[in-house]
Amino acid sequence: MPVQFSISSLLTVLFRPKAVFETLAAAEPSAPKVFFGFALWLGLLPPVFAYFGTMQFGWRLGVEPVFLPRATVLAICAAYFVALLFGFLSSAVVARWMAVTYDASQSLGRCLALMAIVGAPLAVGSIVHLYPHAFFNVLVLVPVLIWCMYLLYRGLPVVLGTGPNRGVLMASALIAYLFVAFVSLLGITVALWGSGMGPLIGA
Amino acid sequence: MGQRHGAADRRVKAMHYEDRIVTAFMYCAVFWALAGMAAGVYVAAELVWPTIDFGLPELSFGRLRTAHTTLVLFGFGVSGLIATAFYSVQRTSHVRLFAPGFAWILFWAWQLAIVLGAASILAGWTSAKEYAELEWPFDIAITVAWVIFAVVFFGTIAKRRVESIYISNWFYGALIIVVAMLHIVNSLALPATLGKSYSLFAGAQDAVVQWWYGHNAVGFLLTGGFLGMLYYFLPKHAEQPIWSYRLSIVAFWAFVYTYIWAGPHHLHYHAVPEWVQSLGMVMSLILLAPSWATMVNGIMTVSGAAKKLKTDPALKFIVLSLAFYGLATFEGPMLAIKSVNVFSHFTEWTIGHVHSGALGWNALITFGTFYFLVPRLAGAPLYSARLANIHFWLALAGTMLYVLAMWGAGVSQGVLWLSLDELGEVRFSFNDVMAAMKPYYLLRFLAGLVFLAGAVLMAYNLARTFAGRQTVKSAPPAVATAGARA
Repeated sequence: MPVQFSISSLLTVLFRPKAVFETLAAAEPSAPKVFFGFALWLGLLPPVFAYFGTMQFGWRLGVEPVFLPRATVLAICAAYFVALLFGFLSSAVVARWMAVTYDASQSLGRCLALMAIVGAPLAVGSIVHLYPHAFFNVLVLVPVLIWCMYLLYRGLPVVLGTGPNRGVLMASALIAYLFVAFVSLLGITVALWGSGMGPLIGA
Repeated sequence: MGQRHGAADRRVKAMHYEDRIVTAFMYCAVFWALAGMAAGVYVAAELVWPTIDFGLPELSFGRLRTAHTTLVLFGFGVSGLIATAFYSVQRTSHVRLFAPGFAWILFWAWQLAIVLGAASILAGWTSAKEYAELEWPFDIAITVAWVIFAVVFFGTIAKRRVESIYISNWFYGALIIVVAMLHIVNSLALPATLGKSYSLFAGAQDAVVQWWYGHNAVGFLLTGGFLGMLYYFLPKHAEQPIWSYRLSIVAFWAFVYTYIWAGPHHLHYHAVPEWVQSLGMVMSLILLAPSWATMVNGIMTVSGAAKKLKTDPALKFIVLSLAFYGLATFEGPMLAIKSVNVFSHFTEWTIGHVHSGALGWNALITFGTFYFLVPRLAGAPLYSARLANIHFWLALAGTMLYVLAMWGAGVSQGVLWLSLDELGEVRFSFNDVMAAMKPYYLLRFLAGLVFLAGAVLMAYNLARTFAGRQTVKSAPPAVATAGARA
């Protein structure tokens, strides 16, 4: 079953990822199509959910809810979207760069498609942002994240054609990059906030 | 006749590597891992259910948490390092361990120091210096034991039959020399009674010396020492030479030079001079280069060994430990940036950072190395590769859960602590924020339990592999190899 990489094939990607991996191994998807037809829209989901959740319920960090002005919430959600896009594109580019070492496919379309499928459960799971209670989000997104890691280990060898053993090594190397990308995001966020560019909670 | 036999026996014995000491240290490392991690799980539970100390001072958070760090750092970590240092220095030098009798004195002295040291901490003795809480009688005992370690290790290197000193020995050597220096300077104190002494340094100076010690203990013990382990056991595991030996040497010297300056990042916004803080921050950032040079070297070395992954569960631990090493050595410099630190300091983020290193890097690489070592020392295949695989997933899940819970907790704490009300006052009380942490603490407790369960499986697996066996006697290569010493 060919995957069109339109947003309508989301259900297939979510529930039959292995079939999608095999399809991708056979046919090379075009990079613009994966990006504009699929990934971009998925990337919009978390910031949109976060916007409505924050406006409706406020940030709930275990104490009384914190409400922020609309402009601040919009700015944070826009920054969130940019960060997600950067994370997505950079991981695909890093995967392509690593492909030389692990004798994997260097097709940008395949790398983008792989990262999109691996990230799809997280994007959809971000529906929990509609109720921005921090611990509730952690509780739901941690299992989703583990599922995504599983998809990466399972999908990478098939989609990029490295074989299972090299695939494990390359997936681990990619995970190291993703760890670092994530923790950089945390660091950049708090550094910007520390220098006065973040929300002034309660002030 | 009897005499001639005796002389021949002695010659044969002299040709064998002294591996029983390796087995002994490894057994103790596994035991201390279980004891130390169990203590960690218990203190994690105390943060959720504070009354489970039952009013006993010995079980109070302050004492038990210190016992936890002492047991995992010096019981598990150092015993594992000594075991692997003794195993690898003999094989990279092609000689039997120098003064094995001394090595056994070190073994007993070290284990006794851990037992009595942990007991003294539970009894309330403490110098109140982080990761150096043991009081002066223990400080002296540890110094003597460490000198014995140095004599045995460097003695073996001195009588080596190979011209060059392999890179793992440089890292183990740096561990021995620098930890001796740190321990002696930081422990300088005036004893008042048997169980109480007062540091020779006062006020801010004491803080600077303490974190010069504390951070370099992280640097030369938890990073440098374990890099020694990595540089010997990764190529052995992977059956591949190091990707770039030159890079390993360059990274070693850059690492040694840079790390020693990074300590003041623990004292950002404290009563130490501004320039000292900035120096600590800048050197921490530079440190990323040598740390990552080693990570790249490790990843590239293992990249040629894909086939081995299928048959060798131990290699998976080492591959994953490299990913966590990359994370921890990136996150560390990042947290050292003052504008990040203003947010993260004193939050659970720091605890998460420490454990991504301690569980993800130190414990995983040690587990992987033990899975590699035990079949070789016992002369039998691992009792169960399946159990080792289950352990791998438990260790990964435990570490990830721990780190994610602490990221969530730490960022929430940072946001709440920095929240101001309309009058510019702190908006949430300490109690409010503490109460908000409870679910994360529960998650952390579960994470610890999962990680500990994996370690229990490993202990069982290794014990079954060794059951009813003696340490195998293996000998150095009889013929001179390339690069043999004249």
